[in-house]
Amino acid sequence: MNMHTQPQRTPAETALIDAFGDRLSLLPGDGAVMLKRDDAIETIKHGLPTRRVESWHYTDLRRLLNTVPDFDPAAMAKAIAPIVDGSTVASILNGKSDAKVPAPEGVSFQRLSEKLIDGSAAAGLDPYGSDDAIGALNTAFVADGYFVDIADGVELEKPVELQNLQAGGQTHVRLAVRVGAGAKAVIVERQTGDGAALGSSVSQLVLGEGAEVTWLIVQEQPETATHLAQFKAHIGKNAKLTLFVMNAGGRLVRQEIMVRTTGEGADFKLRGINLLAGDTHTDVTMVLDHAVPHTTSTEVIRNVVTGKARGVFQGRINVHQYAQKTNAKMACNTLLLSDDGEFSTKPELEIFADDVICGHGATVTEIDHNHLFYLMARGVDEKSARGLLVKAFVAEVIEELDDEAIVEALEARLDDWFAAHG
Amino acid sequence: MPAVQDTIDRVRKIDVDQYKYGFQTEIAVDKAPKGLSEDIIRFISAKKDEPSWMLEWRLEAYRRWLTLDEPTWARVHYPKIDFQDIYFYAAPKSTPGPTSLSDVDPELLKVYEKLGIPLREQEILAGVQKTDASELEEVSDNVYKSGRVAVDAVFDSVSVVTTFKKELAQAGVIFCSISEAIREHPELVKKYLGSVVPTSDNYYATLNSAVFTDGSFVFVPKGVRCPMELSTYFRMNEKNTGQFERTLIIAEEGAYVSYLEGCTAPQRDENQLHAAVVELVALDDAEIKYSTVQNWYPGDAEGKGGIYNFVTKRGDCRGDRSKISWTQVETGSAITWKYPSCILRGDDSQGEFYSIAVSNGYQQVDSGTKMIHLGKNTSSRIISKGIAAGFSQNTYRGQVSAHRKATNARNFTNCDSLLIGDQCGAHTVPYMEAKNSTAQFEHEATTSKISEDQKFYVMQRGIPEEEAIALIVNGFVKDVIQQLPMEFAVEAQKLIGISLEGSVG
Repeated sequence: MNMHTQPQRTPAETALIDAFGDRLSLLPGDGAVMLKRDDAIETIKHGLPTRRVESWHYTDLRRLLNTVPDFDPAAMAKAIAPIVDGSTVASILNGKSDAKVPAPEGVSFQRLSEKLIDGSAAAGLDPYGSDDAIGALNTAFVADGYFVDIADGVELEKPVELQNLQAGGQTHVRLAVRVGAGAKAVIVERQTGDGAALGSSVSQLVLGEGAEVTWLIVQEQPETATHLAQFKAHIGKNAKLTLFVMNAGGRLVRQEIMVRTTGEGADFKLRGINLLAGDTHTDVTMVLDHAVPHTTSTEVIRNVVTGKARGVFQGRINVHQYAQKTNAKMACNTLLLSDDGEFSTKPELEIFADDVICGHGATVTEIDHNHLFYLMARGVDEKSARGLLVKAFVAEVIEELDDEAIVEALEARLDDWFAAHG
Repeated sequence: MPAVQDTIDRVRKIDVDQYKYGFQTEIAVDKAPKGLSEDIIRFISAKKDEPSWMLEWRLEAYRRWLTLDEPTWARVHYPKIDFQDIYFYAAPKSTPGPTSLSDVDPELLKVYEKLGIPLREQEILAGVQKTDASELEEVSDNVYKSGRVAVDAVFDSVSVVTTFKKELAQAGVIFCSISEAIREHPELVKKYLGSVVPTSDNYYATLNSAVFTDGSFVFVPKGVRCPMELSTYFRMNEKNTGQFERTLIIAEEGAYVSYLEGCTAPQRDENQLHAAVVELVALDDAEIKYSTVQNWYPGDAEGKGGIYNFVTKRGDCRGDRSKISWTQVETGSAITWKYPSCILRGDDSQGEFYSIAVSNGYQQVDSGTKMIHLGKNTSSRIISKGIAAGFSQNTYRGQVSAHRKATNARNFTNCDSLLIGDQCGAHTVPYMEAKNSTAQFEHEATTSKISEDQKFYVMQRGIPEEEAIALIVNGFVKDVIQQLPMEFAVEAQKLIGISLEGSVG
């Protein structure tokens, strides 16, 4: 370890840097935006993170990102039906947003490309730090997306579904959502497509005082795609955010979640299920900052690992010095169903306040033989019994969401996955 | 919930400015010139009268070390160490191999007396529960239960005395300084040295391989249960010196040994470096129990001075059904960077790690363990308690991994930490890596181990809440304390009369 080395640029790094030179004239943005793009590509020029970078310990991006497809202007992605009927749908097809989205009252959609051109989106483009490779990649290349504003006090009855659909090539999009004080909404982020694409997607959410949002990330990329995503949120005073993440696809996936409580009484819930199959790599990394007193959070992650899949969950809870009375709990449970699969987890606590309740738990195991016996003793054959137990293991997390339409929709996605990967 | 007053008071009692081993002793010393170079290594090797293969081994490590960078991943901060400003060898002058206690500088004996470490055998015997002569015979038949401890005392760079050697030799146990072992038992040293922590392992271990000056060597042959506790006391006395000791413990098939280690240093304004390597090898059915009470000088209340404790400790459960158990009570050092680990290579082997780390003042602790499951049906258990007070930072960092072929690997990890005051930090960074579907890993770091049910059970018998909590917590901490041999348990108990209620994960 720690040998002096001067790494050669990998083909993927070279391809990204070359692509930036080629694309530069096509990327929207005023002077401020373009300066941030230049800074961002500098980060990429310093090399993609390796496992030496602590936050990328289990996902050596430099080694794993071995192909970078060219941008493909001919790729045609098609809009799909939303997971809940009657949702307001705003799609991004191969990196391009719709000029006009039929919006319900109190909600406005703006194309991100316009905000890049007039420079109003510049402020949100700064990456998190030197190890924020996804932020840097996205800032360098982002061309479109949506800015959604939900006005104060608006309570939406139907979900808003933001679709990011690709059909090959590269797409780099950004979804920025502001939810006003006292507003209530369910927002679905769909990440899917077909083809060997490379995509980066950054979502930014700001919750006003007392706002309540359920945000669902449904990621069903094909097993050939590389999907690098980030979700960032600020939760205001007495606001509640429930984030549900379902990863059920992709060849190389990293979903970063960065959440900060910014007002007292803020509450954050993370529920995640990772359904991993094939020869794939999926990483969910969360950094949660309890920055003010009297805030709460719970995180439950369930993972099912089959085939040669490799899964990662890193969860860090930072409790700042003045964030007294924080109550934070995190659990990560994994069912490892194949001998070729692997799962690594790193639940971290960083605590600087002394009057807090924090805890985390993590388990990795196979199916409980007693449970299996119980079912088989009742005449259920082994395969079905295993199926039932695995499904129950993840469905438990979905059932916690109280919206019936959402639960049904997600269970349908779950059934699809089990049908394909039984 | 916040810590209760009683706990706060007790932690204050062991605060950094209460350090009572901070005295220094004027002893004539023999020092190598300051700094590090191949010549210094040749000097050390020559001083130790080492065979040429040993010198080659050291030089190879040194050349390797020159190509390495200091690791930066731990959560500790300190100014860059100037390795050219350290004396790598310092030895009390009067010790060209003392043959008996009477050869030892009386000043030195006084040091150990002050530390409360009995080097004189008669004193130890006197301390044996006031037995009369007839009982004594019985005791020697059953020496293991007698509470006697064989001690190897290491002063700065050299081992000054080892007690009870003769009696141990009768049982076939070799207990001596590593320098002596290199001379007397080269075949054993050659076979095992560096086989657990290779010279290329990490920055500090590599440095240690190049410059290690002394340490203990223990060899317990096949089928022997070591008749008494073995122990080493490390004392750093000289100014600007670094202590680089190397300990190697081998338990052959079916052998058992329990080994204790204690350390102290004088109070000085500058930081001193301690970079040790400990290697344990357990063959089939062998068991090694390694306990540490680490009480190096932690620096003063402003964080000035103190020991940098960068230690690599690793045990190799090489044989089937072997067992290695680490117990540590860490209260000293300005910086602790230490991860006693177990490589569970043999089938059905077991690894254990029990730790209590108390940090105060400006201390920084980054400690934990690694349990590497390689064999079949291996199991490991980790219990860690961190208590941070003052301006200290206390980090638990642990790794549990099961490799492809490690079927039925089991691990249970529990780490709790307690913060006293709002200027300190407690952190847990566990890494869990499972590559086998039959692995079963559990990790928990909880606010409080006390369940409402337990509390209710005690309280409904008329015990007030505060006391009920203390009772339950003490019962819980006992799990760790009980792992310590009797002699250390008392010392540790003083440090851990601390209640852990209100602890945070």
